[in-house]
Amino acid sequence: MSKSTLTRRSFVKASALAGAAATIGASMAGCMQESAPEEELAGTGEGGHSSTEGLTKMKTMCHGCIQMCPAIAYLKDGVVVKLEGDPDAPMSRGSMCIKGLNQLHTMYSPRRILHPLRRAGERGENKWEVISWDEAVTEAATHIKDAIEKYGPYSFFCSVGGGGSYSFMEAMTLPMAFGSPTVFEPGCAQCYLPRWSLSKLFYGGNDQSVADSAVREIFRVGDANKTEMVVLWGAQPSVSQTAMSGRAMAELRAAGVKTVVVDPNFSPDAVKADVWLPVRPGTDTGIILSWYRYIFENKLYDEEFTKYWTNLPFLIDPDTKLPVKAADLFPDFQQTTPENTPAYVCFDLKTGAVAPFEYSTPADSAVDPEIFWTGDFNGKTYKTAGQIYKEEAEPWTFEHAGEMCWVKPEKIEEAVKLYAEAGVAGIVNGVASDMMESASQVPLGCMGLDSIMGYINKPGCTMTQYGKGNQPTTRPVTFNNGFAGMFSPMYGIGAVVGLSDAENEAWARGEETPVGKADVSQQKLANQLLIDRLGMKDHKGLYAWCHSHIPTVRNAIATGEPYKPRVWFDMSGNKLAMLGNAKSWYDVFPEIDYIIGQYPHLTSFHIEACDLVFPLREWLEEPMAKGTQLNTTWLMNECTHIGETVSHSIPAGRVVAKCAELMGGELPGLKPGFMGQATEEEVKAAQAANVGAESWDDLVNNTDKYIPFTIPEDEYFGYNQHETVVDDGLPAGFGTESRKIEVYCQILLKLARTGYPFCYPEPQEACEDYSPICTYIEPAESPLSDSEYPFVLTSGRVPYFHHGTMRHAAFSRELFPTAEIRINPASAAELGIEHMDWVKVTSRRGEVHARAYLTEGVNPRTVWMERFWNPECFDESQPNPTAGWRECNVNVLTKNDAPFNEVYGSYTNRGFTVKIEKSEKPANVWVSPEEFEPFLPSAEMMAEPITEDVRF
Amino acid sequence: MRNCLVIDLDRCSGCDSCVAACKHENDVDLGVYYNPVYAVGPTGTFPDIEMYWLPMQCQQCENPGCIEVCPTGASYRDEETGVVLVSAEDCIGCESCLTGCPFNARMLNPATNVVEKCTLCFHRKNDETWEPACVHNCCCGARLFGDLDDPNSSAAKAVAAAGEANCHQLSDPGNLGPATVYILSAKTAAWQDDPSVVTRSA
Repeated sequence: MSKSTLTRRSFVKASALAGAAATIGASMAGCMQESAPEEELAGTGEGGHSSTEGLTKMKTMCHGCIQMCPAIAYLKDGVVVKLEGDPDAPMSRGSMCIKGLNQLHTMYSPRRILHPLRRAGERGENKWEVISWDEAVTEAATHIKDAIEKYGPYSFFCSVGGGGSYSFMEAMTLPMAFGSPTVFEPGCAQCYLPRWSLSKLFYGGNDQSVADSAVREIFRVGDANKTEMVVLWGAQPSVSQTAMSGRAMAELRAAGVKTVVVDPNFSPDAVKADVWLPVRPGTDTGIILSWYRYIFENKLYDEEFTKYWTNLPFLIDPDTKLPVKAADLFPDFQQTTPENTPAYVCFDLKTGAVAPFEYSTPADSAVDPEIFWTGDFNGKTYKTAGQIYKEEAEPWTFEHAGEMCWVKPEKIEEAVKLYAEAGVAGIVNGVASDMMESASQVPLGCMGLDSIMGYINKPGCTMTQYGKGNQPTTRPVTFNNGFAGMFSPMYGIGAVVGLSDAENEAWARGEETPVGKADVSQQKLANQLLIDRLGMKDHKGLYAWCHSHIPTVRNAIATGEPYKPRVWFDMSGNKLAMLGNAKSWYDVFPEIDYIIGQYPHLTSFHIEACDLVFPLREWLEEPMAKGTQLNTTWLMNECTHIGETVSHSIPAGRVVAKCAELMGGELPGLKPGFMGQATEEEVKAAQAANVGAESWDDLVNNTDKYIPFTIPEDEYFGYNQHETVVDDGLPAGFGTESRKIEVYCQILLKLARTGYPFCYPEPQEACEDYSPICTYIEPAESPLSDSEYPFVLTSGRVPYFHHGTMRHAAFSRELFPTAEIRINPASAAELGIEHMDWVKVTSRRGEVHARAYLTEGVNPRTVWMERFWNPECFDESQPNPTAGWRECNVNVLTKNDAPFNEVYGSYTNRGFTVKIEKSEKPANVWVSPEEFEPFLPSAEMMAEPITEDVRF
Repeated sequence: MRNCLVIDLDRCSGCDSCVAACKHENDVDLGVYYNPVYAVGPTGTFPDIEMYWLPMQCQQCENPGCIEVCPTGASYRDEETGVVLVSAEDCIGCESCLTGCPFNARMLNPATNVVEKCTLCFHRKNDETWEPACVHNCCCGARLFGDLDDPNSSAAKAVAAAGEANCHQLSDPGNLGPATVYILSAKTAAWQDDPSVVTRSA
């Protein structure tokens, strides 16, 4: 690579380049330019030629969002000139959405960072100098080492999230390596964790999220698809994952599948729905409870399934709120099932008496359990779990739900009838509820509905298990702590749900158990990190992903209590556009000694906060082989590579290695601790192994042999797994304590009281009990009582952006130039607001601006915004540049204080109150298409030399 | 020969991916669009409303008004494929053709002073399968392309499968004979002959 390449300003057009002190150091040795491709023909289609003649065609995969669609890239002279969807993909079927297509803009954006940057001015000034990888890694490692030596390991913390880099495993494990418990992600408790984690606690199975590719069964191709009816609850796949699950929903509807959509906004999926329920934001549980009431009252539930495969017939002890075990009420009872499969107690309709209820197939059961029962036994009044649920639902008539949730009662009835009268149906539970105080109640309610209807493990249901090995041979268990509970065997923390108490004690001692042995050599430190993690006393559900409670982290930074996080390694995106109540974070930046970022582009966060920024690859450059559609896995190819950008795990991998060197070979945390790669070779080897290739070269030279990596359909899809008889002679059941679906989610009570099954063997301090069933919570900021802020605001995606991404893609911005607030024309008229007028939106946290999009698609008292940030605000053409996060960013408005969701600590990004008034356009915001010209790929970027991997 | 698009509005979700696919494929300038997608509605009063999206582009008319009024012959019909095209070399940017097109399917590119429009990706006609970029990438499987006179084309098959009552064409008072067919069933929304579209224009 020539010096001129390094010193030109291509790394970021907007920044003031302070002392372009680029040197050709040892780290640059690998950055050699490849020989220029010979082919000069561009496809023109002229003279009888194909339009792609002369172009190099590469199979790859888009990573413009969390779903990944197979794609084809066409290159000319090493430059990607064209993208399109891969027609062989089973779900996206050749589709590629605007986010994917516009990667051509982000890849060659003049905003790309191609080299490590060190802050050269004050935070916020956007002044940088290019430094070598060696310098950058050493500087980051030195700051971390110094802070740990001076203040201890808890001074280090990490974060991720925001789109564009998907370093979830890396972020979760980097603090572990340093012996710190602190990591957070603006998603997590506010995106997916509640639904994912609850599905594990509820039945040890897959959750109901389409966006996160947890739901697959309903998208099977051809005659294998038995879907009849789908409820989209707070999900809009046609917008969020347009080409994959959006396409799949279009196919379902075309095939005649009925849909109900619960969404305050008239989303495209709502437009096409058989019934649309425009729920008042934050009140979804009111409608859910009205469905329970209707289904219970009209006996529409699957009676046999509910009796024998759920825990609703269990008698609940009124003092402990836990199900009573047979041995507790019947001292002479001799359990015939293994110790890991306890017998509970029911009211037996055969004998008309309270009786032990042993686990068995329905046919082999000694009892006929009553689902709804209240009565006395030995002087104490018991209710069944089913009775408790029924009483909770009792007030929720369609009329009451309609009044509270702002939906017509007859529409609620029409919807539940479609759902309950279908042969099979399934609920898709979207992200909306994660962003409300009812983040745990909504998934409890939605999964419970599918359970009592028996829409479980059947063709055409969302809660149907899949994947290689989904036919059990032993009693199912659920590991806890980390993805798939991986940290439980690694560090001996976390009980294994489905083992007996004695077996779990043996597990925690590192002894042999039916599920193997845990390595307990680092258990003391690992358990202490669980106990000390910020916010865990109150919100123990966060343990599932080993994450901290974000508002508690912010308070710890501000106050130093109980300890002060001081050195921050952020792994993705624009935190100022992603974190709730962004200004409250901006205010604590001065308290943080040193901040490291990594991203393909500079964002508001990097400008306002970061001292050092590592350059990352865009998806066209990053090797990855783990994106799936149904039973197929695809390759994200390294189509090209410019600059000194690296794969997303490498900066942390380098910093870990350097810290170990500076600290005498040992880090103070867990081992292996960081789970990521430190070189591109390691990255590529790991990816190749995912699809069974010998090496990365083997994989990319024989793409057709390995890609798609396909698990045969008959091995991948399976049904009625819970009925399979396993090695103890019993039906497999589910990976819960009772071996049944715990619709009354009994383990949540243990979680609140001790941290079980996560914080184990040493417990966490108790907090108030968590509700084991769906209950109604009136939003803390309620339009029913708030006269100062009369509108309730909710948010959601538009097809042009994923998280904070694509804001500098010109073809995205010209179509959706700036923030919009959807408002009903009647409400707008009262405020003197016309279509596309600029308005000021104010909450109790702050104010932002947006253009009013007048539509009948929202309730007159509801308004809807997409989040936004504006990278044009620091374009070099701006006379008074700003960092672009205050102007239009909905997260200036969002609510990050209590009350939080009790289990997960989720704060309120949706369903809080605002007021609206006519206003003016903020000074630095661009709107007209021509203004976005500076964002277009520049000739300079397109001419960047193709580089090899950075070598260290 | 009637090569044209057939667009299934029961499927279209207004995601604008077709717009981006077109702009990248044809290197279209900022502010110029060959195939904008318009929101029609929601019509009605909350919550009793309906809407659809109307993707707009050259309708491949039987009697193209644009060709008739073009003073230089720059607007023409390709004999082999029947596609209505504009010769950039012959176009003088007079915008006469814009008056001849009631569908607003043409735009003057101020940067080049040439009128541009959808060509059905004419440069791809010699590909193994001629398929416009918007059709290939359509996220809803809503866009079909082919010769309506060929009953085996995917376009003709879609029209046949949809049934006459669900097939619509843009209002055509000038008898230009637009070829493009829109499929829309009453289940999604009522077709509007004179749709009031919602855009992001103030």
